[in-house]
Amino acid sequence: MASHYEAPIREPLVTGEKSYHDVTVDIAAPVEGRANKLWWIAFSIALVAFLWGIGCIIYTVSTGIGVWGLNKTIGWAWDITNFVWWVGIGHAGTLISAVLLLFRQKWRMAVNRSAEAMTIFSVVQAGLFPIIHMGRPWLAYWVLPIPNQFGSLWVNFNSPLLWDVFAISTYLSVSLVFWWTGLLPDFAMLRDRAVKPFQKKIYSLLSFGWTGRAKDWQRFEEVSLVLAGLATPLVLSVHTIVSFDFATSVVAGWHSTIYPPYFVAGAIFSGFAMVLTLLIIMRKVSNLEAYITRVHIEYMNKVILLTGGVVSVAYITEFFIAWYSGTNYEDYTYLSIGAATGPYWWAFWALIICNFIVPQTLWVKKLRRNFTWSFIVSIIINIGMWFERFDIIVINLSKGHLPSSWSMFSPTFVDVGIYLGTIGFFFVLFLLYARTFPVIAQAEIKTILKSSGERYKRMRDVEGKSIAGAAADPRTSNYSGTNTNSSDQATK
Amino acid sequence: MKVFGKIGMVLGVAAIVASCHDKRSPNYQFMPDMYEPISYETYQESSAFRNGISAQLPVEGTVARGHIPYEYPNTLEGYAAAKENLTNPTPAEEITDEYLNEGKQLYGIYCAVCHGDKGDGQGILVEREKLLGIPSYDDAGRAITAGSIYHVIRYGLNAMGSYANQVNEEERWKVTEYVLTLKQDLESK
Repeated sequence: MASHYEAPIREPLVTGEKSYHDVTVDIAAPVEGRANKLWWIAFSIALVAFLWGIGCIIYTVSTGIGVWGLNKTIGWAWDITNFVWWVGIGHAGTLISAVLLLFRQKWRMAVNRSAEAMTIFSVVQAGLFPIIHMGRPWLAYWVLPIPNQFGSLWVNFNSPLLWDVFAISTYLSVSLVFWWTGLLPDFAMLRDRAVKPFQKKIYSLLSFGWTGRAKDWQRFEEVSLVLAGLATPLVLSVHTIVSFDFATSVVAGWHSTIYPPYFVAGAIFSGFAMVLTLLIIMRKVSNLEAYITRVHIEYMNKVILLTGGVVSVAYITEFFIAWYSGTNYEDYTYLSIGAATGPYWWAFWALIICNFIVPQTLWVKKLRRNFTWSFIVSIIINIGMWFERFDIIVINLSKGHLPSSWSMFSPTFVDVGIYLGTIGFFFVLFLLYARTFPVIAQAEIKTILKSSGERYKRMRDVEGKSIAGAAADPRTSNYSGTNTNSSDQATK
Repeated sequence: MKVFGKIGMVLGVAAIVASCHDKRSPNYQFMPDMYEPISYETYQESSAFRNGISAQLPVEGTVARGHIPYEYPNTLEGYAAAKENLTNPTPAEEITDEYLNEGKQLYGIYCAVCHGDKGDGQGILVEREKLLGIPSYDDAGRAITAGSIYHVIRYGLNAMGSYANQVNEEERWKVTEYVLTLKQDLESK
């Protein structure tokens, strides 16, 4: 087609002989079908973990923070580690949906919906920790500047913990709106396909009466772009603010100006790893291999490689500056000889191996295009990024300025239980999402089907044919197309 | 219109919730973490003590730091001895107008209600005939001195009760000095 030029070098983003109808059917299938046994098993395990976590949370709040392994020296440990970890995971979702939209990355379309869902669900998990790690969580509403009867007593706006409140709540609400806006056409698709009255009603409510008029689409695109423009600085600022919790302190190892960009890079690093973990499974169990292809995995691995490189440089910088500063106190920070050989040597080396060494294997093309290896690396990165936060928090606190206050930290079962509970809660939400929401933005996929679909690329680039009308469903179209196989494919 | 209905509903619910507060009993509290004291408050009831109050009497004969026991007994002999021998221990140069003014304030609070602002025994309670028989300070038969005034404030006399628990030693001497000025004023008329 003369009017369209796409470089032949680009790999197809949708494989197989997919028509528009096939896209719809494939994406609606998990929602319209019944859950299989595997789903129920996974859901049950997640639910049990979630309930156990709720039990641990209730136990903590009703008994007191002392049931955790914290002590007077180390007042933050698993709670804030998990908070930062979950917030970090959430960042890839917005990066994929917003930053990649600004950069016009078409490959984002197959992964953005799930990535955003992952954002929402992980920010929900993260949001639990600032509440439950409070000594008196029932007074948590005091963090909000509400006029009151204490002579209108307000919060101090100088604390990064307060900025966290604003950052996380803004981040969650903007992400939710962005996600939901994108869902409207897809919910409308499910609404229009629903045959059972109950489902019809539910998806009618969820789709807000989307009719897909030209004017709606025009505004939809504008809103998406504006929200992407807003969400991008948000992504950068939210984890920056989270990093300020540490960077603005006077604790050796925390007080570091590199933290804001380094935390953001780490967030994207761990977030992409989590997206990979989820999508490598999802493409299999939801039969979405044609949409989440090897090239998607490779692109995500490249982003991981980039951000992993950024955090590695940051580690080296921290290590260098700790030495270069000449400050004795920097001898024990989380990236120093003291940490590598001290009582938390295992946490230090877990960080180095998981974040610094293993992801470097992705430079090898064969490995970064390998699903199994990508999956393994993605899990290793998530473990490594957990250790990064643990190291930053616990190692730096454990050996502070006064040797008489040096201490060790060991978690109790409640620390672990709450963490497992949030993982369970995350998967409860994600598994429910995977069964009820269109996990791929079908409306967006349909916009790239003809430019980046394997079939159309072949027709255009190899066979040199016109693709006009070729995406129509042969069952409803009187177009006698260029490809005789398409009817077999679509009616299967 | 719909909006007004909704606002009305919210206000209605708020009014109902607010009306749950009974004015005859203390209001509901949200998470009263540190509202009730763990330590004993001075006038608190407490089952820890036999008489049920946390304010216990000190042991007889003990002397608290900063306090000097009053040596004249609460008897007629003690009264006579105090009248004869007791004087204000405050150095004369410290008995200034300010000192007397403080005495006047204390006198106005504790004494004037019966003894009258001028010390002539015509306090408001006497004027209203609530009680009778308050003598004037210039009563020649009594011939009050600094020692006797102090002694009477300390222990009381006849119908008058002790004011020792209202005014401390320093304040008693201030009142005493002021009463002496009132006596002088009355006698000079």
